Amino acid sequence: MDADCVLLLPGVCQVLLDSGRSLPDDTTLEKLLDWLTGITEADKEGSLLEVHPCLLEFISFVVCKTSSDPSVISFTLKLCGLMGATEDGFKRLQESSVLDLAFSRQHWHEAGLWEDPCIRIGWIQGLRSMLLHSKALSFFVQADLTAQLLQLQTDTSLFVASAANQMLAHILLFFQPVMSAGCNTIGKKHWEDKRTQASIIGPGVTMDTSEDYDAVLAVTSKYLQESLVPKENTQFHQSLQTLKLLGLLLAQARPPLRDQLLQTAADPLEEVVTAGCSQLTLPLMDVVLAAYSSSTGEGVPDQHVARLLSSMLTMSKPADLIQAAAALLSRGHPDSVHAAQAVRILLLPLDLITGQALLGTNTAADKHRFSMVDQLKSKTSCISMICVCLTNTPQISLMPADLLPCPSASIVTAVLSLLRICSGDSSSSPAGCPEVFRNVISSGKVQKSALEALTGLSSSPGVKGMLIEVLAVLIEYLNHPDSDPIVLHKSYQAVVQWLSVCVDLSFTTDKLQQDLVEVVKKRVCDMRWEVRDSTVEFLGKLAGVLVSAKVAPDTSEVLLGGCCSASLLREALQDPESYVRASAISALAQTLAHSWQQGAAPTQQQTDIVSRLLEILSQDTEGFARRAVVQYFIAWFSSRSSSTSRSPSTSTCSTSPLLMNSVSTVLSLGSADLDWEVKVHTLELAELLLDEAFLGHRGYRKGSDTHLALPHPYAVVSDQTCTLHTHNRKRTEGMDSDLAIRLKTLVEQGVFSVLLSGLVDCDRPVSLKACQLLIKFRETVCPVSIEAPEETVAEVSCELPGWGWGQDISKTLGMTMSDQAKVADIAANGAHVFDSEDCKENVNKGGDSVCVRVCEVLRSLGLDAKLDILIQSSDHVHNSPLSLLQDILTAGAAHSHPDTQPGQEVIVDCY
Amino acid sequence: MPEIKVTPLGAGQDVGRSCILVSIGGKNIMLDCGMHMGYNDDRRFPDFSYITQNGRLTDFLDCLIISHFHLDHCGALPYMSEMVGYDGPIYMTHPTKAICPILLEDFRKITVDKKGETNFFTSQMIKDCMKKVIPLNLHQTVQVDDELEIKAYYAGHVLGAAMVHIKVGSESVVYTGDYNMTPDRHLGAAWIDKCRPDILISESTYATTIRDSKRCRERDFLKKVHESIERGGKVLIPVFALGRAQELCILLETFWERMNLKAPIYFSTGLTEKANHYYKLFITWTNQKIRKTFVQRNMFEFKHIKAFDRSYADNPGPMVVFATPGMLHAGQSLQIFKKWAGNEKNMVIMPGYCVQGTIGHKILNGQRKLEMEGRATLDVKLQVEYMSFSAHADAKGIMQLIRMAEPRNMVLVHGEAVKMEFLKGKIEQEFSIDCYMPANGETVTVTTNPSVPVDISLNLLKREMALGGPLPDPKKPRTMHGTLIMKENSLKLVSSEQALKELGLNEHQLRFTCRVQLQDPHSDPDTLHRIYTHLKSVLKGYTIQHLPDGTVMVESIVIKVSSSAEDPNTKVLLLSWSYQVKLSSFLMILSSPGISPV
Repeated sequence: MDADCVLLLPGVCQVLLDSGRSLPDDTTLEKLLDWLTGITEADKEGSLLEVHPCLLEFISFVVCKTSSDPSVISFTLKLCGLMGATEDGFKRLQESSVLDLAFSRQHWHEAGLWEDPCIRIGWIQGLRSMLLHSKALSFFVQADLTAQLLQLQTDTSLFVASAANQMLAHILLFFQPVMSAGCNTIGKKHWEDKRTQASIIGPGVTMDTSEDYDAVLAVTSKYLQESLVPKENTQFHQSLQTLKLLGLLLAQARPPLRDQLLQTAADPLEEVVTAGCSQLTLPLMDVVLAAYSSSTGEGVPDQHVARLLSSMLTMSKPADLIQAAAALLSRGHPDSVHAAQAVRILLLPLDLITGQALLGTNTAADKHRFSMVDQLKSKTSCISMICVCLTNTPQISLMPADLLPCPSASIVTAVLSLLRICSGDSSSSPAGCPEVFRNVISSGKVQKSALEALTGLSSSPGVKGMLIEVLAVLIEYLNHPDSDPIVLHKSYQAVVQWLSVCVDLSFTTDKLQQDLVEVVKKRVCDMRWEVRDSTVEFLGKLAGVLVSAKVAPDTSEVLLGGCCSASLLREALQDPESYVRASAISALAQTLAHSWQQGAAPTQQQTDIVSRLLEILSQDTEGFARRAVVQYFIAWFSSRSSSTSRSPSTSTCSTSPLLMNSVSTVLSLGSADLDWEVKVHTLELAELLLDEAFLGHRGYRKGSDTHLALPHPYAVVSDQTCTLHTHNRKRTEGMDSDLAIRLKTLVEQGVFSVLLSGLVDCDRPVSLKACQLLIKFRETVCPVSIEAPEETVAEVSCELPGWGWGQDISKTLGMTMSDQAKVADIAANGAHVFDSEDCKENVNKGGDSVCVRVCEVLRSLGLDAKLDILIQSSDHVHNSPLSLLQDILTAGAAHSHPDTQPGQEVIVDCY
Repeated sequence: MPEIKVTPLGAGQDVGRSCILVSIGGKNIMLDCGMHMGYNDDRRFPDFSYITQNGRLTDFLDCLIISHFHLDHCGALPYMSEMVGYDGPIYMTHPTKAICPILLEDFRKITVDKKGETNFFTSQMIKDCMKKVIPLNLHQTVQVDDELEIKAYYAGHVLGAAMVHIKVGSESVVYTGDYNMTPDRHLGAAWIDKCRPDILISESTYATTIRDSKRCRERDFLKKVHESIERGGKVLIPVFALGRAQELCILLETFWERMNLKAPIYFSTGLTEKANHYYKLFITWTNQKIRKTFVQRNMFEFKHIKAFDRSYADNPGPMVVFATPGMLHAGQSLQIFKKWAGNEKNMVIMPGYCVQGTIGHKILNGQRKLEMEGRATLDVKLQVEYMSFSAHADAKGIMQLIRMAEPRNMVLVHGEAVKMEFLKGKIEQEFSIDCYMPANGETVTVTTNPSVPVDISLNLLKREMALGGPLPDPKKPRTMHGTLIMKENSLKLVSSEQALKELGLNEHQLRFTCRVQLQDPHSDPDTLHRIYTHLKSVLKGYTIQHLPDGTVMVESIVIKVSSSAEDPNTKVLLLSWSYQVKLSSFLMILSSPGISPV
């Protein structure tokens, strides 16, 4: 524990004792407990109570003084459990007679506090933390707490009930006996204790633990037997909770415990399955599956459990049946027989509604057919069942063929038929169930599920040939006047997904292409911004898919039949909604990516786009669009860099003046932007320029993790690094001379200014990124390890404006340099001002501007110290334990002396 | 009996992370999906695992309704829809939909600023989430599905804040979100129909407070700012982008105009334009005065308030700066605070609540030495003031809303337990209704009286009127007799004759019989005669006949006498009556002196 915190801890305990209501806020106690939990975990000796006696005094006092605030009592119970988690701590608490009182339900009940759920939560969580060793288990059993805990399982508070279940599962699983190697009987088991294994290996302790454990198991088993089956309608809650407990236990129980649990629960479980209570279907399925998978893990599945599983898949209520089948598939199908059965169940509603005969002609085998049709006639259950089925279709279609009653293509056909029915066209489903049609027509929920299913089904085997049919339905949806924005969005997603799988455009027809063009043209002008945005995003994704699939360059144009997505996107740059403008910019970047990679000279259209983008960057009131503009140039610059590296011959034409001029403007506008993310992206663009200028140069590494990459000045340099440097030196000998030129170029491009302005930005992510880049810059141009940089390099200067960031940098330079007493004449001027031909002209124009040498600035800014601070994040100071303890003390003091509090009472309202 | 269940996952006896689950008529509705800014981990979001069995929220919830754009009400929305995977309908008003992303983006920035932040949503997620939102208009009933309908009402509080009336069949719940019952400088007061919901779920931030008049607070605020400016100091007002910032701007603008003050007022990071844009766009959501004067002069086009540049902070002389964020935990407000903290002439006014750990919280608690990064210490010499301008209903306002809506039950959320307890007592006393204040995770269950709509036949109504009763009045319910029949899935109350006719049934008469034993030594006819005489004497207004077939008839009740085979003195009276007759009164007459039953 931090020495400062040690000093404050007694005072904090005192504040908590005095009144919990003076706490800074409702999170304080939880944060305090988090901190103490961390310390306890690190304290292997368990000596925390000894080292900090105030903690024990605090616990004893609160436990006895029931008048404390309930939240403080709850915290104390949790703390008490935490301290008792080690045997030493437990012993100390017991010696102080704290435990009996703290975990006595009667005690809190008599004080009228048990009604408060936070006390019950504290009680459970305290016990949960403590029950990590055999002594705690003995205490738990002797105090007869199992029954009380079981009672809390059906508590009125969801949180208490869930915590009680977790706690019961913890006891039975944590202390569960393990079979000795070669032993199969429970009599020869030994006891496992994860923390204090050494202390309970002795036969006496083993026996104690065994007895205690058996006692808990006996009470719990009896409870399981009695409460699994709901006696009346009102007892569903208890059965539900008991099933959840059993599910938790069976998921992790090992053989002796698992066998015992199964033996205990077998009959009641069968009874519950037979009773067919809909509310219990899912937890029941969880239990059966957990039992099944744990029993199959050791070879032959337990016949009884297998029978239960089969019964679950033959339940009489169709809705329950669907739920059970879906649960079986989602938890990984246990065996082919049951999986095939589940598949048939899940495909049945789709088969019935669409009449697609997914289950073959032998439909007599599906005895649920009639009840299912009946159920489908009710709108609510029809929608709910069909949605569950649809959600599972992609997974079903990927299952081994022998488990499927039909090829995947038939499932796709059925989903397409359903989509048609939903939009009012049942002509493709003559064998379907017309009485059910009215339930799904115009149902947004079914449409969304079906479109999602269709998207998922695109990767199923043997379905690529269905592209035309799929596109036809999707275009119909995109065209439908009543389609809501989410349905349209999902339709676009499905189109992109299917096209990304089936990139061969011969699968499509001219008519389809034309239809797609028409609908996109229509939707890009939709009244709703959500629809316009999805359309614009679609155009970008389509281009992205086709580029990544390496198909012909103009495929997207071909697909869109010359509708010219770029011109549609250009239009969208004027959209009144900033989200749409931003999407249009990103989509343009994706659309033009191919031509950039080819290094083609920019067309007039591209030039126009660039001017419009720069206009957006300088004038748009919303950050989203401005961020997208900077990212557009990042994408352009990167694609150009990658194409240069791949093919040097194209580098000349790819280094278009349009791009380079724009980049300078972007840097200057972006660094002065009001949005932090625009500034971060601008720094990313600056980093690309640095990469291009310095890559291959000594000391320069690509990537932004500069802090880790930088070798410590006194670090041992590995052989590998030396070799690399030697090699670089040889290769870069000729390059040293042009380092100054490169540096000058960067300054002229505005890269250095961007980095400096970023460094003093009020948004930490911006200044952190800038600081990292400046260190990288410094290590390349004038590393600290070299006494003086090359003269030509040292001479390169830049201009610091006399306002804003320039002023801040000047101040920093003045301070750090005067502190270090490096240069005597700097203190007076605040910066090392000198005459330089390069920036003299500008300085004269700017009035207050000053010229400084780049290397001097880089070496004098105290970048490493600044990085250390920035890397700590804004939370470092405010949310440190010390800050928390100080806040508690201050709030306590303010509460006890209300006069010291400024103004009126601070009421927690909203934010 | 049908039940409505209300379970807060957040805002149950606390503020932050508002998230309330309502189960009504088989539908599950989530009200708000907020975050708790006091936490840095998953605890900041509501824990949805408690309410879903299979992890699919979409299967469980029928819809989600967001009351307004504050993060404690909508901060977990992208988490829920894009990370947890809720894909069902989300409702909020138009202004909330437009402004929500700004606040969410602001918060995203803060999380990026923190180290090791994972599991947080991206900009794209915020947008994708917003695209799923279905906008609500005030007073327009929206049919979520065949059974569930919702209707939004004006809540004041912030631009676009709404209360919502949720109805399934005859059961209904109103959720207030945060609301304000008194109009302020730019927003109106909350209002709702007398909708008599089964439950009114109300915020209770100011449960025990009767707030002093707004004018006093405003005067106090202006006085403090003015004094500071007069002595050449600088005033920092940390605010969140939208909300009370606009209220304070209007206040200062008017004051500057009136007093002809020259000191500059700045608003940071271009938010004035943005806010202006939204207030213009949603002018109908502002108060009457602003709406009326909008044509001549837009209140949000400030003459004295200019955009701030970071270099201005170093300018000499007095100034007022509104800077974000509001809790002094990062960004521009913190940067300016650091610059100005050392001068006792300067002042910082905190207009809202700050969570633990933030500089705002520390200085409000009176800390004057703040440890900053790199173990540097900042001496706080400037004046620190707290002036709450939050637009919540106070205790009086809450009572006023109850009077307006006339709920059958109350549930208090979004407040402190101790204060809620006090208000609960007041509500129960004044309105004689049950008031609950569930903790997070606790479920309030309210049983409702199902109201089943029934058609009444015109003939029956006419007959009832013919009987001379008062004319039907919806405010005065009265009992009406008839036969309830169900035909073609609808219920009808008709006369019994019409019921028989409509259902094609024959009428049957049901008679009840019983035996009464008497000790009487006379012959059977004598005994019967004695009974006849006795009845004649006591039942004056009734038709009593001694019939020749050896029976006595009192109205429709038939009495016959026979002797017991074993004992001729024991007479057996056979009584037979139809269902209309009240036998008890008759038996009482029989048991009266003169004839004593065995």
